Amino acid sequence: MLIDLRSAVILLSLVGIILMGSLTIYSVTSIDIYYFLRFLAINIFAIVLVTLFFYQINLNRILSFGWLFFLGNILLVLSVEIIGKEVNGAQRWLDFGFLSLQPTEFMKIAYPLFAIQYLRFYSFQFNPFRSYFLLGTLFLSSIPIIIQPDLGTGLVYILSGLMLLFICGLDRRYFIGMGAFAILFSPIIYNFGLTNYQKGRIISWFSSDQTLSEKWNILQSEISIGSGGIVGEGFLNSKQNEFNFLPEADTDFIFSIYAEQFGFIGVFFIFLLLAIFIVFTTLFSMTEKRLTDDLSPYYLGTYFTLVIGFSFLLNILMVSGLIPVVGLPLPFFTKGGSSLLCFSIMLGLIFSSRGFLR
Amino acid sequence: MRNSKVHIYRGRTNLLLVIFLILLVLVTGRFFYLQIIKGDDLRNIRENNINAFEYIYPKRGRILSTDGYVLAEDRKTFSLAIDLEQKPSEDSIKKLSQLFPSIVDFDETRELVRKSLNSRKPEIVIEKLDQEQLSKFLVRSSEFGGFSIIEGYEREYDNHPSFFHVLGHMGYLTEADVEYFSPRINSFDPSIWRKVGKSGIERVFEEELRGSHGKRFYQRNARGTKRVITSEDSFQEGEELKISINYEAQKLAYDLIGNRKGSVVVIDLEDFSIPVAVSAPSISANTLRDITSSQYQDLLNDSNRPLFNRAFMGLYPPASTIKPLLSTFALSNQYTTWEETIFDDGFFRFEEEERVFNAWREGGHGLTDLSKALIESSNPFFMNLSIRYEKNKFVNFLESSSFGSKLCQDCYPHQFSPLIDDNWKQKNFGKDLFKGDFINLGVGQGYMLTTPLHLALISGILASNGNYKLPYLAISNEESLSISTDMSDLDWEKLNKALIDVIYSPNGTGFRINAGALKLAGKSGTAQVVDINSREEYDEVRKNINLRDHAIFIGYAPYDDPKFSIAVIIENGESGGRTAGPIAKEVLEDLLDVN
Repeated sequence: MLIDLRSAVILLSLVGIILMGSLTIYSVTSIDIYYFLRFLAINIFAIVLVTLFFYQINLNRILSFGWLFFLGNILLVLSVEIIGKEVNGAQRWLDFGFLSLQPTEFMKIAYPLFAIQYLRFYSFQFNPFRSYFLLGTLFLSSIPIIIQPDLGTGLVYILSGLMLLFICGLDRRYFIGMGAFAILFSPIIYNFGLTNYQKGRIISWFSSDQTLSEKWNILQSEISIGSGGIVGEGFLNSKQNEFNFLPEADTDFIFSIYAEQFGFIGVFFIFLLLAIFIVFTTLFSMTEKRLTDDLSPYYLGTYFTLVIGFSFLLNILMVSGLIPVVGLPLPFFTKGGSSLLCFSIMLGLIFSSRGFLR
Repeated sequence: MRNSKVHIYRGRTNLLLVIFLILLVLVTGRFFYLQIIKGDDLRNIRENNINAFEYIYPKRGRILSTDGYVLAEDRKTFSLAIDLEQKPSEDSIKKLSQLFPSIVDFDETRELVRKSLNSRKPEIVIEKLDQEQLSKFLVRSSEFGGFSIIEGYEREYDNHPSFFHVLGHMGYLTEADVEYFSPRINSFDPSIWRKVGKSGIERVFEEELRGSHGKRFYQRNARGTKRVITSEDSFQEGEELKISINYEAQKLAYDLIGNRKGSVVVIDLEDFSIPVAVSAPSISANTLRDITSSQYQDLLNDSNRPLFNRAFMGLYPPASTIKPLLSTFALSNQYTTWEETIFDDGFFRFEEEERVFNAWREGGHGLTDLSKALIESSNPFFMNLSIRYEKNKFVNFLESSSFGSKLCQDCYPHQFSPLIDDNWKQKNFGKDLFKGDFINLGVGQGYMLTTPLHLALISGILASNGNYKLPYLAISNEESLSISTDMSDLDWEKLNKALIDVIYSPNGTGFRINAGALKLAGKSGTAQVVDINSREEYDEVRKNINLRDHAIFIGYAPYDDPKFSIAVIIENGESGGRTAGPIAKEVLEDLLDVN
């Protein structure tokens, strides 16, 4: 097991992100030091375990069950409708007692496994039927997510799926067509497709009315970020968190608390680590000498890397007020088993598919 | 084929990477803007959201009597309030209602808790716990999560009713108070004061007594429930104020009036301070603090008017007690001499208007000079003088005796005795003063009205040969005043002698006072409440107590070196000499330590 310089850089940047995420979770909940250690341990343990798991099992074998994962996940999402736990007016959670899972998160993993299995069968050759079939299954499978209602996760799921198809070489005319459709029909979708809760979030983003309750979260988030200044208030010194001004400080808005504690320098540091991790991992996979006939590992590796990168990006765009609030977790920061497990599986798949730990 | 796949894969991945990096740069710019350009502003917003302060109400200054008794002071109170940090549970409300079954009702308290948590105001459950209740709660306080003790101050007055009118009382700030205090107190901020002095010393010396607020700085969470106290500026206690009231004499004077209505005012002639200012009936100054609004209404509607300060506000006809003062006017302007005599047959006939005025004694006093007119109180003598008075000189003289102007700067509320001149009569009756008016004015009836405080001052003016200062309760007046007379020392001596004889001569109207060793000089008066023209009418009027004459006495002692002057008014007390005089005697005896 040899690790070259580039692998070391990738691993180090990842460890940096995970460490900062765990520290921030600890500073927000600050229950005790064991909580922090447990979070860190679960994080690392999950990544290593999943990586080793997928490393041991041939990716081909996993891919041959892609359709099963996908179908199973859809059934899980539907089952949440019936036995799920309600949080913030949306049913998203399966409660196992020791672990609350949000099955929708895993759709971002199941769909590509299914799509790659399907495409590999046809040597990644698209024709109109296959293109419409893959787009159709993507959109249809997003319906149970969106009606939960979890528009944010649903949209991210669709965008992730489209990104996979984009990487895999789906003809660009489909993307142009869907883009035009989205723009033309967005007013209709807004009027008839969204709940008031979702509309409120969008209205608040465009409105300058500070009294809207939806605006409160974003305002408090911006206050947290700005209060950090250049060097930050210091670890464990987030007043916005201490005095409960920032709602959902341990989930969607955790990065604002990070920014308050570590300032612009800390923010820049995380962004740098993120850029290094995403760019290096992606470039690494593209310049790999052993690109074989079967491109599936590379498609999957690149896909998961970019999903992590864009998830991170969307969350910080949201907390800094650049896009509407769409309840998205921040990879390796947000407290919650599903998100942690989901991103760990992605990492495991990246590492095993790329095989640079070899 | 494979190469074109790889080509598309690399090209599109590169495109996504570029988009990712552009967005990352954009969001870095956003964080740069929020943290470095807007950082200070946003931090200020955060600090303003979190940091707050509240005022700590200061301890108000004590008020002491001239002999050092505490008349008013702030006492610490302990109230039971809802603690917003640890919301009271149903269980702890239940336990509290069991601890204080007669005071705390379970349902009411639960409602109060709900209100308190909604408004984020720590509502008071029990106001002013007594010692027993306090210790009962503190011993088991751990069982009543969500309730805590709040400390405060409350004004506590000497319980004797004689002090209420002088000290005044405290009350919640109203619009009218803001209007009153704004020009009087530097940088008066109505938003931070709950209670202010409403009357008396409490109002006049509000600025000195109040002290200044402390500030308690704290941090609060978004719901306003969690509080962390960060620092505290302690309050500045109000100044202690010593007033001229003599503790024992004040109480004695009130007790002597008993259940009658009336007033006693004493002036210390050394500095014209006021050692006694009593108005009866009165209430304990603590009463107003504790009563309900309906009980307050009852007090306002009480026909005996216990809230009305007769000493500074009550206007009474001075009747015969004005005669000595007007004697100095008559002598100075040669309207009469000590030698002039008239024959008093019990009537005065005003020939210009063909009117006849009855005097109080049937048959009159016979041959009467000025001394005798003072000692036996002859109305016809003074009526006869009155028609000689020149209007301008008379008005000037009254003005120099402080009619029509404020007598006491630190008495509140305060009423001045009206100056009776053409202006006054034009305003009230649409006519100028005419000769006939002077007949009544000359014997202290008709339009002439004085407050008990003014009568005590007039008595003091007589005692100190026409020189005086304005009386005070706490801050002395340095300006020396005198009445506009031209009296020789001999004139003053004779006047003084006549006033001594009022008390000590067997013919004197004050002989029955039996003043003994007090060395009292004075003048009694009987003020008619209704005009009476015949003996029969008089007997009729006597049956109604409220229409009986007011008894008045003014005096000073000791007459050879006057220390105190006094005025006593007993409403419907009829005879000044017999009713008001003995009260004056006892009060002065107490002040001068004469037995």
